[in-house]
Amino acid sequence: MLSFTLRRLASAVGTLFLSSVLVFLAVQALPGDVATQILGKDATPDAVAALRQQLGLDRPAWERYVDWIKGALHGDFGTSLVSGKGVGGEVAQYLGNSALIAFVTVLFAVTGSLVLGVLAGLYRDRWPDHLISTVSLVGMSVPEFVVATVLVLCFSVALPWFPAVVLYGPEAGVGQLLPAVWLPALALAVVMAAYIVRMARTSVIDVMAGEFVTTARLKGLSTWRIVTRHALPSALLPTLHVIALNVAWLAGGVAVVENVFNYPGIGKLMLSSVQNRDLPVIQAIALVSAVIYVVCNLAADLGAMALNPRLRTRGRTR
Amino acid sequence: MPDTHLPGRRSVLAAGAAAAASLGASWLLTGCTGAAAAPGLTAAALPGTPDPGGTLRIARPPASDAETLDPASSLSAYEYLGALYNRLVRVGADGELAPDLAESWESDAKARTWTFRLRKGVTFHDGRAFTSADAAYTLRHILDKATASPQAAVLAPLVDPGTLRTPDAHTLVVPLKTPNAEFPSLLTHYNCYVIPDGSAKGIGRTGTGTGPFKLESFAPAGPGRVTANKDHWAGRPVLDAIAFYSVADMSARAGALLAGQVDLLSQTNLDFATARVVAASDRATVTRVKDAQWYVLPMLTTEKPFTDVRVRQAMKLAYDPEHVVKAALQGAGTAGWDNPVPPSDPAHIAAHPAHDPEQARHLLKQAGHEGLTVDLYTSSYDPLFTPMALAYQDSAKRAGIRIRVRTAAADSYYTQIWMKKPLMATYWFTGRPVDQLFTQIFRSGSSYNETAWADKEFDVVLDRARAETDDTRRRELYGEAQTLVIERGGAMTPMFADRLVGISREVRGYAEHGFEFDYLSIGVKGA
Repeated sequence: MLSFTLRRLASAVGTLFLSSVLVFLAVQALPGDVATQILGKDATPDAVAALRQQLGLDRPAWERYVDWIKGALHGDFGTSLVSGKGVGGEVAQYLGNSALIAFVTVLFAVTGSLVLGVLAGLYRDRWPDHLISTVSLVGMSVPEFVVATVLVLCFSVALPWFPAVVLYGPEAGVGQLLPAVWLPALALAVVMAAYIVRMARTSVIDVMAGEFVTTARLKGLSTWRIVTRHALPSALLPTLHVIALNVAWLAGGVAVVENVFNYPGIGKLMLSSVQNRDLPVIQAIALVSAVIYVVCNLAADLGAMALNPRLRTRGRTR
Repeated sequence: MPDTHLPGRRSVLAAGAAAAASLGASWLLTGCTGAAAAPGLTAAALPGTPDPGGTLRIARPPASDAETLDPASSLSAYEYLGALYNRLVRVGADGELAPDLAESWESDAKARTWTFRLRKGVTFHDGRAFTSADAAYTLRHILDKATASPQAAVLAPLVDPGTLRTPDAHTLVVPLKTPNAEFPSLLTHYNCYVIPDGSAKGIGRTGTGTGPFKLESFAPAGPGRVTANKDHWAGRPVLDAIAFYSVADMSARAGALLAGQVDLLSQTNLDFATARVVAASDRATVTRVKDAQWYVLPMLTTEKPFTDVRVRQAMKLAYDPEHVVKAALQGAGTAGWDNPVPPSDPAHIAAHPAHDPEQARHLLKQAGHEGLTVDLYTSSYDPLFTPMALAYQDSAKRAGIRIRVRTAAADSYYTQIWMKKPLMATYWFTGRPVDQLFTQIFRSGSSYNETAWADKEFDVVLDRARAETDDTRRRELYGEAQTLVIERGGAMTPMFADRLVGISREVRGYAEHGFEFDYLSIGVKGA
């Protein structure tokens, strides 16, 4: 178990390094640099040259990358080329706001879709199953910005229950953001839920067809008890990975939804920094996203091991 | 805004997506209310007078995460400027110059030295009196290389900052390097708002001006608030305060208006689908700013086949601007007939060659380009680019011109396509005085000359116009300059589009034209 964990950690660090290189190269390949993007139509050759020098863009790319990596290892992510603020603090602030959405989303999506998935599995091929499967498939297929727009039209325009957009900047407090969290979270949860529902449904069907469930039934246990005590833990196992992947997907999925709601989170920061070619910010966000991906997967693996004795012992014998 | 085209810069995310979403939205709403047809886009500004007091909430696209309150900067937060500051000279509703901090101005007989008589008894928000020293400092600040002001390119060839004179506290004398009878009009630009002497370092955050509102708070690309300046020299504004909110995404801005979170969308030309939804709402409606955006299909005169003036003429004669206005604008605008000077400008001339596809065919044959095929680049940067390109394509067919419409990425459109591809779609906000327009965008060698057109005769006519102190004669010369642009230039100007402004039904006294916004009389009902 320990060596397995260590190996997973080592590969995680490697993944992080590779992703930082890839992101750096990808941003270099984008047409236009930060100087031309900032200046837009005012980008006269003189102004561009001056801004480039001021931002240190006249140095070779690899030199800038090495500098950045050195700083990052010491916890210094540099300063934003656009706002001139420290990247670490800026990203942390936006990330905190996104964490609020992510938390609510995961709560909605995981509890809701597990319940729906188990229901669909138990009522396989009957109307609750058809209803749940169809609705979740539709939710999965519709892009999140459409779901978001529909939610805005229904719950902030037609019924004025929630704000349509966030009017505060990134420094807004939890109290100011809280009323605005529900619609984006719901939009993300709808898209996310479909995968988990499908997975949970399949595992419940598999498990309920298993011999130990038949045995439990023959023992005279109630259906409720069979489902909660025996079927659910086994059914959760494969679902765990899907949940982990979905949580990681959130890191990217928020980009679109946050912009529709003008929510000052990491997705909005990512979009604006990509459009501005603000390299230090993009790099930091990419690194953070990579960390989230790696940690989620790691957690899923370790969680699966904790839930599954077979995996645990196999890990030990190796 | 304006030069850098803010509206789209940050809302590119899902320009296509937004269009799809807003279509969905209009379908949903019309489905709900049953008001299927009845676009209601003809609504004019809401009549009636506002009640005194109240707070107006404006949603605006941020210029950049690094935006500033320094009016001279290319990253200035446009909406704040008119509220916080004044210029020496502004443009009146009739398109003519009107006094602002300068009460009057006159030049010597050769238009080489300009004298501005400044308003007395004006104070800055911090209590300091406004004097000629502040006016001179403002000009020096714009011309300072460290400021990198876009307006420096226009003023630097005319003004040497070392020669400005302030004979007394309320007189500013500006000697020019070359005669210019239109010089005061160049000071109406939104980079020319007056700031206090010596304020360059802090002005980006303090916003200390002489304007109708004082700064309470400002966060770059974030929220901000200004409150009424009770001691304003032109009287107190109707409103108590204005709250500005940065909303980068256009559909998010529309959502905020529909949900009643904001009262006015600034720098936002709603697409037709969204405009219908807004007009059908009982909270908000749509009002039009006439001919607010000027659309161009620039032909790069340094690239083949547009190096040949006959090809450029053929491209212009080949299409019918009226058709483009009908197809791309659904009638909400005016045909441009390749004249970039807006119809509302007093210098505008109405004469233009008629649409003549046969003549176009003939010219192309002469130039050896019969059956010309060219790529026309557009992007989702602005919702009207592609409709305009398609309407042009359709109209130019009759002259045997084959246009291939190519879509480029929106976020790098102005760095990779504009002034790089031989033919593309673009736009400007109207509101430049005629001399600035020609000097900045059509004179040979200017950095904004998007067709790279260099015509000696045009430059000469422009110089003669600038030096002509007789007003009637000068207008005639600017008319000649327009004729040259129409007949030889590289810019096709199919249309001037009205801006469809989303506005709350509670707002009264909204008036905006060009780069002028009336912050004094705008207010809300039942405040």
